[in-house]
This record gives sequence, C-alpha cells and structure tokens, in this order.
Amino acid sequence: MDASEATAVLARAREGDSDAFRVLVEQHSRSVFRLAYRMTGNEQDAEDVVQESFLRAYRQLGRFESRANFGTWLYRIAANCSVDLMRAKQARHDMTRAESLDETGEHLSADTPTPERLAVSDEIQRRVAHALDALSPLERAAFTLRHYEGRSIDEISRTLDLGVSAAKHSVFRAVKKLRVALEPLRSHQL
Amino acid sequence: MTHCTDEELTLYYYGEGRRRAAIARHLDTCAPCAALYREITDTLGLMAAPDEPVRDDQYGFEVWRRLQKDHRFEGFDRFERFEGFEGFEGFERFSRFGGFEWLRRVAAFGTFERFAGSGRFAGLATAAGLAALVVVAFLAGHAWRTSDVASTNVTNASNQSNTSNPANHSNLANHSNPENRILLASVADHLDRSERVLTDIMNAPAKSNISMEQQWAEDLLQTSRLYRQDAVDANETSVAAVLDDLERNLIEIVHSPSTISAADLEQLRRRIDAAALLFKVRVMSDELRRREEPPAGRALPQTSTRTIS
Repeated sequence: MDASEATAVLARAREGDSDAFRVLVEQHSRSVFRLAYRMTGNEQDAEDVVQESFLRAYRQLGRFESRANFGTWLYRIAANCSVDLMRAKQARHDMTRAESLDETGEHLSADTPTPERLAVSDEIQRRVAHALDALSPLERAAFTLRHYEGRSIDEISRTLDLGVSAAKHSVFRAVKKLRVALEPLRSHQL
Repeated sequence: MTHCTDEELTLYYYGEGRRRAAIARHLDTCAPCAALYREITDTLGLMAAPDEPVRDDQYGFEVWRRLQKDHRFEGFDRFERFEGFEGFEGFERFSRFGGFEWLRRVAAFGTFERFAGSGRFAGLATAAGLAALVVVAFLAGHAWRTSDVASTNVTNASNQSNTSNPANHSNLANHSNPENRILLASVADHLDRSERVLTDIMNAPAKSNISMEQQWAEDLLQTSRLYRQDAVDANETSVAAVLDDLERNLIEIVHSPSTISAADLEQLRRRIDAAALLFKVRVMSDELRRREEPPAGRALPQTSTRTIS
C-alpha cells in the first residue's frame, strides 16, 4: 500500500468506514503484537493488549491528526496499553514473584549451576524473564523500548508520555536492577 | 576527566548522551570505569530479544474477528448498516450498545419512539418485537440494579467482627478461604457492572439525560467504597487502586448535570480515558475471576464484609 492509499484508507476509517478500519487492523496487528509481547513477556497478555489497543484507536480515531503517522500513533497506544495492563496485574505478579524467587533460591542452593548448565540458553532466558518481571511496569516499558525496540530516550518520553528525565531514569533503574539480578549469570560467563 | 557514572555509561552503550568522544578516551585509560562498562555490556548482552510466538498472515484477520465480537466495538458494523437513517441523531452511539445494555437503553430512554417517529422504521412486526424487548429489558435492568443495591445491604455479624480485627481479616488473595472467594467474585461482579455504566457514559449522546446512569453510579459508588476498604485491609493494593480510580470517576458522573452538555460529557470521557479506567476495570475483573476459582456447583452470593453506614 503506497502513501496516498494509506492516507485514503485512514480518511475513510475516520469517517466510520469499517472496511477501512479493518484494513488498518490487518496491516498493523502483527507489529502491535510484537511490541506487546516484548513489553509483557506473555502471549495472552500480548493478545489482550492488541485487542485493547485497537479498541482505543477506534474510539479515539476522531482525535487522530491525519498528518501524523497512524503506525506511530498506534504504537504509542499499544505501549501505554501494555503499561496499564502490567500495572493492573502487578498485585498478582507481586504474589507469584515472591514464590518464584523462593523457588529460584532453592534451585540455586540445591543444584549449584555449572558454567555449562548456565550456558543453556533456556536457563538464561528463564532468568532474564524473571529479572524483567521484577521491574516496575514503567521500567520494563522504558527498557523494552530502549533495548529491544531501539528507541531513543526522547522517543521513549513521547511514547510513554513522560518527561525526558523520567524516561531516562526509568531506563537507568531498569539497567541497574538487571545488573544486580543477572550478576550470577555474568560471573559464570566470565 | 572524572570517573564515568552508571548513567553516562548506560547512555554511552546505547549510543546516546553527551561527551561520547571523551568517554571513549576515558575508557581506554581508566580501569575502574572500563570494568563498570564491561559489567553493563555483559548484562545487556544477555538481554537477547525474546523469541516471539509466530503470528502468520491471517493474524490481522483473526484480530479483526475478535474485535467484531467485542461488545465495545460491535456498533461499528451496525452503524454502517443503518447509517441511511437520516435525522436520527445519536444512532451511532445507540448502535454501540451491546446485548443487554442495548435493550436496557431502549427501555430507559424511549429510543423506540425516536425510531418510530423517524418515519423510516415503520413496520408493525418490527415494532411489536421491539416493544417486547423493551419490556424484557426494563425488567431485567430493574432486577440488575436492585440486586447490586441489595448486595451492599447484607450485614453479616461475623464478617463485621473480622473487619474490625485486622488479625482476623481475610486476605483476598487467600484462595483456600471460601469467604475470600466470595469476596473476589463480588468485587469482580462489581467491576463488571461498573464497566457497563462507564461504557454507557462513553457512548452517551451529547445533551442526553444521564440520570439513570447517575443513579447506578451512585449505587455503585457506595458499594465501591466498601470493597475498596476491604481491599486496603486485605493489602490488595492494586485492587484498591483500581477501585479508587473508579470511585473518583463515579463521583464525577454522579455530580454532573443530569442533562449533560457536550462539553461536560467530553470532559467526563477524557477523565475516563486518561485513567484508562475501562481497561483497568476489565483487566482487574478478569484477574479476580482467575483467582477466585470457586468450587464446582456452588453459587456465589454478593456481599461485602462491610455495611453502608
């Protein structure tokens, strides 16, 4: 779809043409899912974010500036939906995280990891996932945007509707926590 | 040059920040900073992008189908089908009401008369069908509201004693206690009802009469306060936070003029949007339902551990 076609589809969608909105949904679903999955680390949560993002986009389509890029606008909506979902789920995560950390502690003490074991990517991924789960929703979102999505601090602040300083410090806090959480992996890698 | 901070080195790693050339030179000559930078790069080097579940070319279509089934979205199609009805203001809004809400709104606001009056919706059979729906909707809507109010009036002496004594107070997260499961179910039901009222407000036409929504909001407000206090006592901070957000918005709805202007309505909607309230309410309701796991075959009464004072 070229730029003029995209503009025309968007204009029709804003006027309430469901076929046009469907084109937008079909065009952007995969990228929204990818972002949501990276943000939440959970397939079902990512699906919920996809659904909610398009619902919000649909409802707010009238406020969308047609000169702006729909993909960028939708990206912001999806990022913020992810943060909202992570915040809403925080209580359950707090509860399970305490249990998980206990389990990890037992696992480490009962079964001392060798460098070979740690080299197994599944184990690394599991621990990385744990470390990411331990971040606050905002830290995780800012880190995901910086590290996985390659967004600059300025872009992160615009996407998450934060000040530049707040965005920067969310990334810093995330990196600091990850360094502490993944220290055992690092020392075994050396 | 003085030593680099963690923050400077993190930004440096990501190709951002000022003094990049100076930092590069410094890292060549300063062992502690070089070690710190290595620690950062080693950590971030472990953070490979997760393997995402594959979504094929059909995925967009699947998402579209799911959206069409969502009651908050379903009006989109209906609006298109009926957009030929000129002069019927607010039909788009009306068309977005889903299922039960749709029926209730018909009953509540006399939408049927507006349909019939348009002169474009004639047809005895259709009118008779709609009239039947109006009656059913009115009765169901009435029953729904009264059950919510009644639930808050249930007073249980043992529950009260639990509430007054923090040591005895149950935690919502404790799945083994049937009382807590009941409370989880009640809060989830409460959130579902609140979602409906919020959805109504989001879809209400400008200059409409929202007195019925205000009445429901007022009922829900009382219930919400009780549940929020229970959640606080049970150390369920996220549940309490969502209920707190909900309460603020319900108060706004209750205190708005009954015949609401377009500007006031837009302000209400912006508040709800800004707090992402509908989404939070829905997610929290899903969460609580996942956690409640009631025993098979057991009915879940609606109750709070408190009473309205």
